[in-house]
Amino acid sequence: MTHESIQSMIKKQIKPAVLIFFLLTLLVGIAYPLVITGIAQVIFPVQSNGDLLIHNGKIAGSSQIGQPFSSPQYFWGRLSATAPVPYNAGASSGSNLGPNNPALLAQVQARADALHAADPKNTQAIPVDLVTASGSGLDPDISVAAAYYQVPRVARERTLSDSDLFALVASQIEPRQFGIFGEPRVNVLSLNLALDDISAGKISVPQPAGSGADTNDPPASIFGMRIADWIQLLLFILLVMFIVVPLGAWMAKIYTGKPNVLSPILERIEQKILILGGIDPGEEMDWKEFAVAVMAFSVPCIAVVFLLQLVQQVLPLNPAGLSAVLPDLALNTAVSFATNTNWQAYVPEVTMSYFTQVAGLAVQNFLSAAVGMAVLVALIIAFTRKSGTTIGNFWVLLTRSVMILLPLCLIVSLVLVSQGTPQTFSGAVTVPLIDPVKDSTGALVTTQTIPLGPVASQVAIKHLGTNGGGFYNANSAHPLENPTPFANFVETFAIIIIPAALCMMFGVMIGSKRKGVALLIAMSLIFLPLVGLAIWSEGAGNPALSPMGIDQVPSALQSGGNMEGKEVRFGIVPSALFAVVTTVTSCGAVNSMHDSFMPLAGGVLLFDMQLGEVVFGGVGSGLYGMLIFAIIAMFIAGLMVGRTPELYGKKIEQFEMKMATIVILIPIILILAFTSLAVLTPMGQAGVFNPGPHGFSEILYAFTSAAQNNGSAFAGLSANSLFYNLATAFCMFVGRYATIVLTLALAGSLVTKKIVPAGEGTLHDHRLLFIVWLVFVIIVVGALSFLPALSLGPVAEYMGMIAGGMIHG
Amino acid sequence: MAEGETRTAPAIPGLYRRAAVDSVLKLDPRTLISNPVMFTVEAGSALTTLLYLQALTGSGEAPTGFIGAISAWLWFTVLFANFAEALAEGRGKAQADSLRKMRQDTTAKKLNPDYTLIKGREPNEKYIAVVSSSALRKNDLIYVKAGDTIPVDGEVIDGVASVNESAITGESAPVIRESGGDRSAVTGGTGILSDWLIIRVSANPGEGFLDHMIGLIEGAKRQKTPNEIALNILLLGLTVVFIAVAAALYAFSAYSVQAAGAGTTVTITVLVALFVCLAPTTIGGLLSAIGIAGMDRLIQRNVITTSGRAIEAAGDVDVLLLDKTGTITLGNRQAVEFIPVDGTTIQDLAETAQLASLADETPEGRRIVVLAKEKYGLRGRTVGASETSIEMQFIPFSSQTRMSGVDQGALHIRKGAADALFRYIEMNGNTVSDELKEAVDTISRVGGTPLVVAQNGKALGVIHLKDIVKGGIRERFVQLRRMGIKTVMITGDNRLTAATIAAEAGVDDFLAEATPESKLKLIREYQAGGRMVAMTGDGTNDAPALAQADVSVAMNTGTQPAREAANMIDLDSNPTKLIEIVEIGKQLLMTRGALTTFSIANDIAKYFAIIPIAFASTYPALAALNVLGLHNGILAAVIFNALIIVALIPLALRGVQYRAMSAEDALRNNILVYGIGGLITPFIGIKIIDILLVLLGVG
Repeated sequence: MTHESIQSMIKKQIKPAVLIFFLLTLLVGIAYPLVITGIAQVIFPVQSNGDLLIHNGKIAGSSQIGQPFSSPQYFWGRLSATAPVPYNAGASSGSNLGPNNPALLAQVQARADALHAADPKNTQAIPVDLVTASGSGLDPDISVAAAYYQVPRVARERTLSDSDLFALVASQIEPRQFGIFGEPRVNVLSLNLALDDISAGKISVPQPAGSGADTNDPPASIFGMRIADWIQLLLFILLVMFIVVPLGAWMAKIYTGKPNVLSPILERIEQKILILGGIDPGEEMDWKEFAVAVMAFSVPCIAVVFLLQLVQQVLPLNPAGLSAVLPDLALNTAVSFATNTNWQAYVPEVTMSYFTQVAGLAVQNFLSAAVGMAVLVALIIAFTRKSGTTIGNFWVLLTRSVMILLPLCLIVSLVLVSQGTPQTFSGAVTVPLIDPVKDSTGALVTTQTIPLGPVASQVAIKHLGTNGGGFYNANSAHPLENPTPFANFVETFAIIIIPAALCMMFGVMIGSKRKGVALLIAMSLIFLPLVGLAIWSEGAGNPALSPMGIDQVPSALQSGGNMEGKEVRFGIVPSALFAVVTTVTSCGAVNSMHDSFMPLAGGVLLFDMQLGEVVFGGVGSGLYGMLIFAIIAMFIAGLMVGRTPELYGKKIEQFEMKMATIVILIPIILILAFTSLAVLTPMGQAGVFNPGPHGFSEILYAFTSAAQNNGSAFAGLSANSLFYNLATAFCMFVGRYATIVLTLALAGSLVTKKIVPAGEGTLHDHRLLFIVWLVFVIIVVGALSFLPALSLGPVAEYMGMIAGGMIHG
Repeated sequence: MAEGETRTAPAIPGLYRRAAVDSVLKLDPRTLISNPVMFTVEAGSALTTLLYLQALTGSGEAPTGFIGAISAWLWFTVLFANFAEALAEGRGKAQADSLRKMRQDTTAKKLNPDYTLIKGREPNEKYIAVVSSSALRKNDLIYVKAGDTIPVDGEVIDGVASVNESAITGESAPVIRESGGDRSAVTGGTGILSDWLIIRVSANPGEGFLDHMIGLIEGAKRQKTPNEIALNILLLGLTVVFIAVAAALYAFSAYSVQAAGAGTTVTITVLVALFVCLAPTTIGGLLSAIGIAGMDRLIQRNVITTSGRAIEAAGDVDVLLLDKTGTITLGNRQAVEFIPVDGTTIQDLAETAQLASLADETPEGRRIVVLAKEKYGLRGRTVGASETSIEMQFIPFSSQTRMSGVDQGALHIRKGAADALFRYIEMNGNTVSDELKEAVDTISRVGGTPLVVAQNGKALGVIHLKDIVKGGIRERFVQLRRMGIKTVMITGDNRLTAATIAAEAGVDDFLAEATPESKLKLIREYQAGGRMVAMTGDGTNDAPALAQADVSVAMNTGTQPAREAANMIDLDSNPTKLIEIVEIGKQLLMTRGALTTFSIANDIAKYFAIIPIAFASTYPALAALNVLGLHNGILAAVIFNALIIVALIPLALRGVQYRAMSAEDALRNNILVYGIGGLITPFIGIKIIDILLVLLGVG
């Protein structure tokens, strides 16, 4: 390949890169959110506009957003870590305090002291959600236990009887959604409004309905987990298993251009885009042309998002009047979204205009996911062809990927709107506070600003495209971004279905469904124990809190466990499940603050990413990463059976091993090198929030997340600095594009190889033995690369914790 | 594997001493760089030595004794790996030396360019110039006669001679070499027993087959094979990862000390120790020894090859093309029936046939005697008669007449191939009867070989010789099938005959009425379908197919074109050798795979030995991970890492045990033994070493 011909390839791809970029931007950046907004405003006018609570004819707040209550005559809500005032809806945030951080223990102690001071006679153990900060800082709910705990104080303050108040609380209990999802809970704002009404004599005390919840009965549990938690977990697993078959088959049809349910619409759109983009769908590309096309496409992707941020102050749809983003942050964000990482070093509510979010970030959510899927399909094509040099047309595969994402996003968006996620282009609304608070300067704050925006349309693709970049800072912990337990279930589900279904699609396309199932089983064999470990770790709670008289035991009235950074409506199991799902896929959305997870669970989340983001992984990228691990595993296995290894009939030789080894090497080296750089330099150390080994974990997590294109964070780390913006941008870029180019080179080599027919001498790549071996190889590579680092982070923290002493003195 | 056929490794005096010396010489970094894993270990050894020297001055980063011990054992690690390679090379050299004995410089009778060949006539003395064999070049003509040693490889272009090839084949019986046909190739170093030959030199000195082979096993010209290179890439990748892990740990540890406000940064000595323990030194140190030993095993079975690639490819073979005769069936057929013609009685025919064969020492001759004895009870009478008869004269088989027989006074008995006998009968003025022709055809049709018997120029009848499928060959094919290898029988026989024998032998498929073109076509078809094809051949007309096949073994008795087209030569000229070659190829790959798995699985235990101790000063709670309760975990791990190389040298040289089984079973077994074994072994080994260290008063 001469220099000239690469140049001519680049020249050839510039025009389609620009044209397709703008056409797809029009489709998913303009048309898509407008359509969703239109439908949402018509069908769900209340939910799509912030779910405002009308009380006695006046707006009394948002039923989704919590308000601060500190007066003894009100029920208190969760602690809130937002600044400068608690429950500042304009800047959602968790505390990000690590489980062994002395500041966390001080905060818990202070809250416990305050509760005791307000009600000295109450010697019950305090329900854990009352002394811990929520992930969003805006949690509208408390557990039933936490409400009951406060009844004697409020009754005394309001001179009401305890039994009346218990009855009031009982009437306010919001049960598990559909009897299945989330935790029974009490909306604090709603309870306090009712309380004021009773005090004012506007309503009477509701009659106790039936026996109510049995407070004293320990909940039925299996292996230490409540039945209700098992149901949610198993339902999730079953539904994923159920959906991947039809979804995988449908995606295979789209990519191979076969008729399907939606072809009348999708094919028309697809053809229009390709024709306007000047693409001849029949013209296939060899791997070099394909790689050039991918890289050419990355230029407008990164450049446009970068520029949009720099000039957003003069662009429309900026109701909050936000100014231009600083260049280093803008670059970081542009690279972050174009690489499907969605690392966010910014607070969206106060940084990005609606226009930037919709036309820049959300567009990249679609396009970066579509690029990953297109590269995967190219690799699959390489495996399926008996000979040849071409691996498909990038523009066609890219467009078809968008065609897959769009209808799914439509469904998820509308489900989210129905649950209370905003979908509007109007600016924030201001609501009054029932119990005004003082900010850090001592000034009284009497109102709360509810941020809105075209949220649902962006959140849908954020999950389906395993992007993870939140519309709000608290991401899916935010009560508007993830309003209900059912919304949470759908969001978790949306993260995993495409990466999982791609395995089935692979099986269909390669002509052996068993091979697809085999990969899915391998992924599940790694995934499920990690979920179990995370749930166990979080469910057990923080041992440091137990001596302080805090009740962390799961019961019918509370989820218990480590509630710091978690939302009451979800509870422990959906939070831990979400956290593992988001880290094994390269999504990076969070519904609870990973920085506040217990050491073991935090370690699990780190390790999830360090496994190479191949257990489900990102859309497309996860499976091509998995196939690369399969190449390595098959190589060693092949040697052990005494013949040159073949995977799916293609011989694995020097070139394949070179590419596969480098692909696996790149993120490992990036993570280790940049973490070293950060811990050794003042600029790197400056970002650390939590002390001791947890602080080290924050840095390690940041570069792991960046290099593996995950995007979640131990968010205590102050990552919006020149150093972190540039360093993580570099990791994200190399971690993404170097891997893609090498994967395409691998595809280019594989496609030319004959397919060796399987026989008795062939090691079957779909049988359990190989699956187990593949799992072993993935875990060993991850463990060998990162065990020493983990041992100075989560492991040291965990060992210190179980040894009984706090690590940091 | 037929043990009797293998050349047992000779006990080599001074082998270990020489290997020990070589292992020191191999420390030269310029040599070691070709093995990146061990090169990095040597760099680590050098680094710790410098740290040791620094410690001696009193400013060491750790106790002097500790650094010294680590440094010493790191050097041992490199030396042990070098030793393994040197040992394999030493054994290869011993094989090569015995081969080389025949390469000693001899004189040669070179024919000068004025000479023109006259078929069948020895060259005039005046054309002959005596030169050193090393002065010969390709295409020179040389003359050899009885008592000479053939100086170089070549092809007979005139003459017929018996040649002693025992030096290379170990077979004492002389073989016939003649121009044309399939027996025209001669090997340098073999001796002429009778007659004379004119030979065209086929290779320049030092470029012959043996020279290639000697170069290969001595390591000088050893090129890495494709799978070995691919494995090296993986090992190099792992090494890079572990360098990064160890280097990063320095930074991580420094930060942790600062964050915890306790302990000291991990020392460079410990990091180097950690790196060496994690790096795939076990497989890295033994990799070239495995390759050399594989080649060595091939020579032990009297197969020489010019490329290591071919051995590896042999492991991948999924189609074996096997010649029927000599491979699937016994080269000698069995006599099963006498068919008299033209009014002869069966008794007469049997008697005559027996008489003709009594002195015939060929296997077929003996079979005829046996048939006559068992079926017609012909014993003492005739035998006694023949022994007392002084006039009886045996006429041996010759390739000119293609008949043998006996003359007893006026009685001339001949037996031989049908066409030769037909000619003989007609020469004697008789006609070949239809009945005879039909008998001959009938036998041919069912896959037999007809042998016509004539007395005084008149046909008596036909002996039916039948192909006998080799004992045990059927089981062999079952094994091959289990290994995923398809067997195809190649024969010149017609379809019917071929099908009969194929079914009897249990081959998967057959190619009947094979021609050079049809063989080539068949190979190409298989290859187009993604198969790897192996075949054996000896004739010039096999050459195109041999060249096309992925693995091709030429018989040493084969023609020069066949030998040149093939990538291996079997000095024993044993067609079933191919199966053993396949097994050697598989064993080679399996040994690499097994030791790679073992090497990587070892690392888990080493983490548990090193990490808790390395960071104990910063995070004392990590000591709980010291599950083995080690006192000198780091040193013990380093010592284990070095000793395991020595412990596995025999395995590397011998190769892992190979049994014919499906890929699944092979993988399961190897994962259990080398994967699970690799996880557990170091826990035990490191603990024992640690106990010994404590007993020795270390730590």
